[in-house]
Amino acid sequence: MNELHTDPEATGNAPATRGRDTGTSSGTGIGTEASTTDGRELATASPASAPGPRPGTADPVKALMNRHHDLCARAVDHLEIAAGLEAHGVTDRTAARFRHRDVFSLAEEMYARFPRDPDAPPPHPAPAHRPGTGRPAPALLALLPGLLCAATVVAARSTDGRSRLALAVLGTLLVGLAVRTLLRRGPLAGPHRAASGTRGWTFWLLTYAFLGDGLLEEGLTGGPDGPWSPATAPLLALALACAPAVWCAGLFTALSGRRLGTSRALDDFAASARPVLLGAFTLFLGALLGLLALCGTLLGEHPAYAGAGALGALLLLARLLTAHGFPHAPAVALATAGAAEGLSLATVFASRLPGCSLLSVPVQTVTDAWGAGSVPALACGTAATVLLLHATRTLTRASAHAVPHEPR
Amino acid sequence: MRIGLLTEGGYPYVSGDARLWCDRLVRGLARHEFRVYALSRSLRQEDEGWMPLPPQVTRVRTAPLWTAVDDGAAHGRDLHGRRARRRFTEAYADLARAVCEGGAAEGRASRSRGACANGCAEDGVNGCTGDCASARPSGRTGDYGDDRQADRFGNALYALADLAREEGGLGSALRSEGALRVWERACRTPGTVRTAHGARVGELLAVARHVERALRPLSLDWYEDAELGAVDLCHATAGGSAALPALLARHFSGVPLLVTEYGVPLRTHYLATADAPPAVRALLASFHGRLAAEVYRRAARITPGNAHVRRWQEHCGADRAKLRTVYPGMEASRFAEVVADVADAAEWAGSAERAERAERAERAEPAETSAPRRSEPGGAARRAAGAAATTGGTFEREAFEREAFKREAAEREAAEREAFEREAFEREAAEREAAERESAAHESASGAGDTLVWVGRVEPAKDLVSLLHAFAEVRAHVPTARLRIVGTAAGAEGRAYLEHCEHLAARLFPDDGHEDTRPSGDRPVSFEEAGAPDAPDLAAVYAAGAVVVLSSVVEGFPVSLVEAMFCGRATVSTDVGAVVEVIGGTGLVVPPREPAALARACVALLRDPARRRRLGEAARARALELFTVEQNVMAFDGLYLDVVSHSPRRRVLVDDRGAPLPFGTPAEARLPGNWTGPRRPLRRAPLWASDTTTPPAAPAQRPEPVGEGAAR
Repeated sequence: MNELHTDPEATGNAPATRGRDTGTSSGTGIGTEASTTDGRELATASPASAPGPRPGTADPVKALMNRHHDLCARAVDHLEIAAGLEAHGVTDRTAARFRHRDVFSLAEEMYARFPRDPDAPPPHPAPAHRPGTGRPAPALLALLPGLLCAATVVAARSTDGRSRLALAVLGTLLVGLAVRTLLRRGPLAGPHRAASGTRGWTFWLLTYAFLGDGLLEEGLTGGPDGPWSPATAPLLALALACAPAVWCAGLFTALSGRRLGTSRALDDFAASARPVLLGAFTLFLGALLGLLALCGTLLGEHPAYAGAGALGALLLLARLLTAHGFPHAPAVALATAGAAEGLSLATVFASRLPGCSLLSVPVQTVTDAWGAGSVPALACGTAATVLLLHATRTLTRASAHAVPHEPR
Repeated sequence: MRIGLLTEGGYPYVSGDARLWCDRLVRGLARHEFRVYALSRSLRQEDEGWMPLPPQVTRVRTAPLWTAVDDGAAHGRDLHGRRARRRFTEAYADLARAVCEGGAAEGRASRSRGACANGCAEDGVNGCTGDCASARPSGRTGDYGDDRQADRFGNALYALADLAREEGGLGSALRSEGALRVWERACRTPGTVRTAHGARVGELLAVARHVERALRPLSLDWYEDAELGAVDLCHATAGGSAALPALLARHFSGVPLLVTEYGVPLRTHYLATADAPPAVRALLASFHGRLAAEVYRRAARITPGNAHVRRWQEHCGADRAKLRTVYPGMEASRFAEVVADVADAAEWAGSAERAERAERAERAEPAETSAPRRSEPGGAARRAAGAAATTGGTFEREAFEREAFKREAAEREAAEREAFEREAFEREAAEREAAERESAAHESASGAGDTLVWVGRVEPAKDLVSLLHAFAEVRAHVPTARLRIVGTAAGAEGRAYLEHCEHLAARLFPDDGHEDTRPSGDRPVSFEEAGAPDAPDLAAVYAAGAVVVLSSVVEGFPVSLVEAMFCGRATVSTDVGAVVEVIGGTGLVVPPREPAALARACVALLRDPARRRRLGEAARARALELFTVEQNVMAFDGLYLDVVSHSPRRRVLVDDRGAPLPFGTPAEARLPGNWTGPRRPLRRAPLWASDTTTPPAAPAQRPEPVGEGAAR
């Protein structure tokens, strides 16, 4: 068998095997185990091949410490060394060769003797990151709602009548599915379920952004006398803004995660996380306004900067808070904004009832001053501001950045 | 007796740890009533459902440990009122302080200082060391056994538990920013362990999350009088989180506690968090150490599964007087058939050997008979001398007799030695001959003359590489030797390792071109899947092996070794974990990671069938005595009775008006079985007892398990 071996490992074995052969023939190779007739047999290895102390070394424990240097260096107490030694197959009998009663006392000596610099900074831990931030899939997935929405808009514009409606409905469903998938993974996903009603109010706010402004204008001028033109540009911009939203949220998570690893005190962390949050938020807002301008130009519509921008900000903040485990405030904010918009529409139409003309005065005043887009801008802007204030208090807490480690 | 069985990620779940053991325990102790309180480890585990439960399990309550009970509000404040919040902060701060003041390292230092102060003058004057050594109790108190620290930790824990009970759960308080601040403050306080002193925010966060998870059982509603308050004994099937409800039941209702540990939670924790930052590891190790120490302190009995666990428990502060090692039991019956086969073969071989011996005796006649004959004269002289002495001897005669006696003894001794040596030599030769014949017999009986068998789960810790290298050496001595590796790969890592081993085997034992003509069984090394449908029965695998080999570098309780022992197989194993304790001298043990030693031991056994058989029989006898299910179940039965008799529950029953009912719990309520049940008309309880035994203390026995998930 030996001569068939060609690889170095096997040929390296061959001399050893031959050596064993001679040992066997002289009767020392095999019979090394202490064997007695009553069946109690225990093989003890020959000292030369044992992992224990080599004969001649004055300090066997030092050799062991060198071999388990990493273990000794990272151990926080001697029990950790004991556990590590046991995991490496060191037993009490091995410890006996180091003149110790058991692994524990051996570990104790190793822990005590290992040089530790009390002033040395602990090895820098890798920054903790939430699952999903490192994956490229959500980052690309974030483009999906925008692309789907753009395709829907193009398709709807090129068709007419019934098929247009069908396409629009289909497109809406697809975009909804894409957004849903997006919110299930990546930095905007959280272990915590959103409070009830959040989804419904979000849908209402988006619907208002699509149809609301036109309806309000018609309502104020005595209409609607027929189908009014919906605002496609804000919706398309919001759908496209899913991508910057995910990226900004990822940036916030990553940067604050790094701050977690470096901050020494909770207040330090809060102070350093606040600019990160505001920066990410501003970045998103800038991207959204850019997208609004782009969509407005492409579609030839008036980009409702204020209304759609405020809505986008509100939605991002609500999602961030929910994902970090604060679902109540976003729910309240979304509901308030939605109710305010609904109420303004309702007052406009209710003022046509006899004796109720005063009802439309506030909305009338606002729209006279800044146009129909100011109603959602005010409603969403106020809610977003409140949420932003809330977020600067809550999202900058370290406890909001705990990595959920529950296996599902 | 009613027993509360507490598990974590364990028993009623199909995929639980130690579920088979618990199932056998519950089924084996049918005369006790069991209530199972299970903490589940993951959603998947919950979805996989429960095992079928025997009727003596009257109640099952489950709670998830993997998710917070109140999901929606992760950071809301569940503790209402400033007072409750302040109480929480105080108790939690105490807990954090006790944890931060150090685990094993600092505890040891402070303890030795304490010993100094006790025994002698403080600054180490003369004789200090001697006194200190004597000041320590003979048994080590362990690394977490410092009483003051333990009290502090325990008190804080119970304060939190009290608060949780009053407020209906701690809710999200443990996850709040306030909890983090508590940890921050505790870490910055002087006296904190060095590694935790400079803990970063991220590390504090990790610690707080982990502790929150570990303390989730505090918020459960299991401690009411009708729940854990109504059991006679809590049996925690693991330490750590599983034992926490039992601790609280003891705190609230005085239920005695029995803890069984087949693994060491603290050790597992050390190995599992090896890549966490040092501060996190230090604090969590301290937390788990303190929790374990508290559990051991409060437990009435602690049953480690083997001596290795026992040693760790002693180091964590367990009192030796409470420790009772109970080996895990295994089903022996499925290996009985193998043993019958082996016995036949052995008998066959034995008869051959007997014939051989008779033959040898004839041949050795001159030698054997010569010895007594030669000693005959001496014997006669002594007899004569004895007779003379009795007939009334003189001094000379006595001297002569003594002389004669000495000479005679020396003569006899020399003769005996000679005879013995010759006999030994002949016996050896005969045995060798018999062994060869016997091995042939064995081979013909089971086809196993030179097959090494390895059974287990394939993973790097099993060190199959060493085994393959060792086997290469075995082949050099015994060219006909074969190695069967039977096992399943565990996880992706295991599969990769299996592949690696197969490559190595192909390299070490290259095909010699006759692969097609040879049956696959003739290859030197074969890898077989244990779980496959066409795979042979495990018992058959063991039966087909001459020697069972275990080559692990890390091992807890070696199951395959015990199975081999049940099959009466000679074994060669590495000296890891509980191996030496299990094998106890009925097999060969070699140091781990030493293929040469392993090979030597294997060759020694392969060449010596008689020794193999002797070892196998001894191993089987040992396994049947120590590792059967019956001994395990009976041990726990005895422990239950022992614990309950030493710390009986004193329940005071009250009537409708709140006045205590004297004799409300009759003495026979402590006896096993349903003494007061209707099935025993002969032993009818008196009227006053039958009225009061059933209601509040022992609520109606429900045959169906109730609780969350019972509808499944």
